[in-house]
Amino acid sequence: MNRMLRATVVVCLLAGFMGPGAVLCAAQTGSHSTTPPAAQAPAREAWQKEFDRICSRTQEAMSFSEEELASLIQRCDALAPQIEKLDETRRKVYLGRLHMCRGLYAYVLESKRNQKK
Amino acid sequence: MNRKCFVILAMIVLFCIPSQAQTGSKKKRPLPYEFGRVVLNNNATKYEMTPVVFEHWIHRSKFTCRVCHVDVGFGMKAGATGIRAADIERGYYCGACHNGRTLNDGKPIFAACSNKKLTYEEQKRCDRCHSQGKRVPSDFDFFAFTAPLPKERFGNGVDWEKSEEMGLIKPQTSLAGFTPKNPLVVQKDFDLNAKVEGMPDIIFSHKKHTVWNGCELCHPEIFMGVKKGNSHYSMVDISEGKSCGACHVTVAFPLADCQRCHAKPVHP
Repeated sequence: MNRMLRATVVVCLLAGFMGPGAVLCAAQTGSHSTTPPAAQAPAREAWQKEFDRICSRTQEAMSFSEEELASLIQRCDALAPQIEKLDETRRKVYLGRLHMCRGLYAYVLESKRNQKK
Repeated sequence: MNRKCFVILAMIVLFCIPSQAQTGSKKKRPLPYEFGRVVLNNNATKYEMTPVVFEHWIHRSKFTCRVCHVDVGFGMKAGATGIRAADIERGYYCGACHNGRTLNDGKPIFAACSNKKLTYEEQKRCDRCHSQGKRVPSDFDFFAFTAPLPKERFGNGVDWEKSEEMGLIKPQTSLAGFTPKNPLVVQKDFDLNAKVEGMPDIIFSHKKHTVWNGCELCHPEIFMGVKKGNSHYSMVDISEGKSCGACHVTVAFPLADCQRCHAKPVHP
């Protein structure tokens, strides 16, 4: 019990003196996490969830209907302005990736339309 | 006298022809351990750092192309991504793995150096990547690493495809936090007609390429043609880095290895 108390006091002191980041770092040092810091955010932000939902489907692109593809392209276009507002690093990474997803969906859509001709 | 003149003339001609032939733009073929090497110097020299020497061979044995070039976001040409130390420190690009926490074969991968004032030890860590012109010890020795792998005549001298088939390397197909979960839909293989008469047609394995690259790495940036048969590829364009040449000049097995692509039996 005493040990528990001591540990709690130490954690509180750490948090007080060094901020929550220090406690988080200390907690992470022994964890051998394979998740990058960017992905260790407490909850994925809304834009990121939408990004995952859109870009996780690229492998299935060929099986989508024209309407589904058009909708995915539209969602890419709607998401881009939100990513534009992020810090430089994330803007660069995610705009590049979004550009690839959108490009693929547009490519498949065009290919499907061409097949009909 | 005439005979002597003739002999001297003949010798001059014999010695001069090969040297003349070599004065063109013949490129030095990279050594097996150099093949796929990329020197990154976006900002290094500007900040008095040595440029980064990136070895494709070790990274390709650990990850599929897709993980780095789609999920992590590395461009396909050196310098195109505009990577900064700050990006890496935030856990992106090289920092996606080189963070001191991500594990490889059970061991943490060394962290990339940071922008802060460096101690001597940290400086040594920086040198592991910022290594152009330096002799830096590496965790992986090319010859020791590739010794058990099946051999190939060109490139790294390793048949990476076969290595994977034999289970000697197991490239990771995803990276936590970067790869959105998605089922892999395997595409069908197809033939491409060779232009030169007598040259075997190409069997393009869509299947293998999709597993390694995903779809969006190649389409539409590298292969724009939508309708099959509408795009025309030439070996000249390919050798300049277009279409197949985006990978098969510098990293994947090189163009000199004709039979790897021109593989369709001439007499079926």
